[in-house]
Amino acid sequence: MSKLLNLALGILAAIGGFVDIGDLVFNTAAGATFGYQLMWVIPIGVLGIIVYSEMSGRVAAVSGKAVFDAVRERTGFAAGLSALLASEVVNLLTLAAEIGGVAIALQLLAGLPYRVLLALGVLALAIVLWTLHLEWMERVFGYCGLCLLVFAVAAVKLSPDWTKVGNGFLPHLSQNNPWLYLYFAIGLLGAAMTPYEVYFYSSGGIEDGWTAKDIGLNRANAIVGYALGGFLSLALMIVGASVFLRHGINPEHLGTIALGAEQPLGKIGLLLAIVGILFAVGGAAIDTVLSGAYNVAQFFGWEWGRYRHPAGAPRFALSWVALLVCALAIVMTGVDPVMLTEYAVIFSAVALPLTYIPILLVANDPEYMGVHTNGRLANVLGFAYLIVIMVIAIAAVPLMIITNVGQN
Amino acid sequence: MTEIHLGRNVLDHQLLDKDGRRCGNVDDLAIEGGAGETAEVVAILAGPGYWAQRAGLLGRLAGWIGGSRRVRIPWEEVQKVDSAVWLRRAAPDYGLGRGDDRVRPYVDRIPGADR
Repeated sequence: MSKLLNLALGILAAIGGFVDIGDLVFNTAAGATFGYQLMWVIPIGVLGIIVYSEMSGRVAAVSGKAVFDAVRERTGFAAGLSALLASEVVNLLTLAAEIGGVAIALQLLAGLPYRVLLALGVLALAIVLWTLHLEWMERVFGYCGLCLLVFAVAAVKLSPDWTKVGNGFLPHLSQNNPWLYLYFAIGLLGAAMTPYEVYFYSSGGIEDGWTAKDIGLNRANAIVGYALGGFLSLALMIVGASVFLRHGINPEHLGTIALGAEQPLGKIGLLLAIVGILFAVGGAAIDTVLSGAYNVAQFFGWEWGRYRHPAGAPRFALSWVALLVCALAIVMTGVDPVMLTEYAVIFSAVALPLTYIPILLVANDPEYMGVHTNGRLANVLGFAYLIVIMVIAIAAVPLMIITNVGQN
Repeated sequence: MTEIHLGRNVLDHQLLDKDGRRCGNVDDLAIEGGAGETAEVVAILAGPGYWAQRAGLLGRLAGWIGGSRRVRIPWEEVQKVDSAVWLRRAAPDYGLGRGDDRVRPYVDRIPGADR
């Protein structure tokens, strides 16, 4: 019984933890620009993150290796160091964007100056990270992030044309501004398959003490948690289409996204949306900053993990503190977090293959994985997605330039 | 005699001491025996002084931050090789894990560090 309860609790946390600032920005903006036309991209992205999270979680459970252990031993020191550097840059951009998101959400609630809230937000995150167990961080932020379900209620309440919504699931190209359409498609995939999610997922499995016995739990967590999280993305896109496209609004501010829930549901909808955004983005900031520290520690072989407490893994603790400070310095310059998000998501798309290839290699090594080596389904999907992310990685930056970061 | 594939199963793998403490990586290996002779792995080499030379300019730059420390662990000290490389004694006995040990006193002073 307690196992089932644990599973349910884990899944609930995963739903709340799936959506981050990248998903909020890209799903809503895609809806506001192209209506329901990009709905089909969401399930593709969600399946991709399921495939690679399941794989990395299985590798962690069976061999005790997290992602950057695998990167180092499969690609060697030199290539691994480049991969580490690229991931840390992308992670830092993402972290800065999430922190900016936290401050914006706080500003909507409290009305203090933005920079004061940035500092307070980072201080609060640091205290949580320093003192709380990982399990509790995940749960508190995951459950409060479930307030985002208000967008699902809003999506239904807005009574969209469901036939049109359904048609959006058929893959097609838009005649109207195809470059921008492709830019959004890549952004949606990048936002769904952000690398830090996989780093965090695999290291978190080791933190939770997963063994080969837990691979059923791993599978259920990855499939159900991310699939349900994907529903939130669909809801955000429907709200974007129904509220913003109809009125010709481009949701350039995080607060505008929250207004999408106010229109059909009133003040209470707005409040739930802001609280949901605050905890979803705050939780993502925690996942991102820990991922950055996990990667460095794993690459150099340092002791790591929240379960060791800061004193048990001092350089690991120092790493996430340093990352938090650097990210704070970036957003303190006044750079727009939504803009930062777009850059973070597009560059994560470029860095994706560096993360996914070593996982696929280790998951196929019977010496470590034994009977849990990738089966045919995992490999067919794994290779198919590898091709998808290679295409994304190559196309991301040119599309960003052609569309002027989605501005035209 | 068991056969171990150095490139795949040892090099760049995690080092664990007798208590399972993570204490560095196998950054290089020392092999004795010239061409035509029987070669033998004599030691595991760990530390920035070894890895900095394995990654060109980027490696030297990282080494500049990491320092030039070198630790040599005789191969006889290896207890077992699975997905990590296990050593017979505690990390400080080899001079491993020094970075963490040096930072720890400062981290310990901050309240809540052991929770």
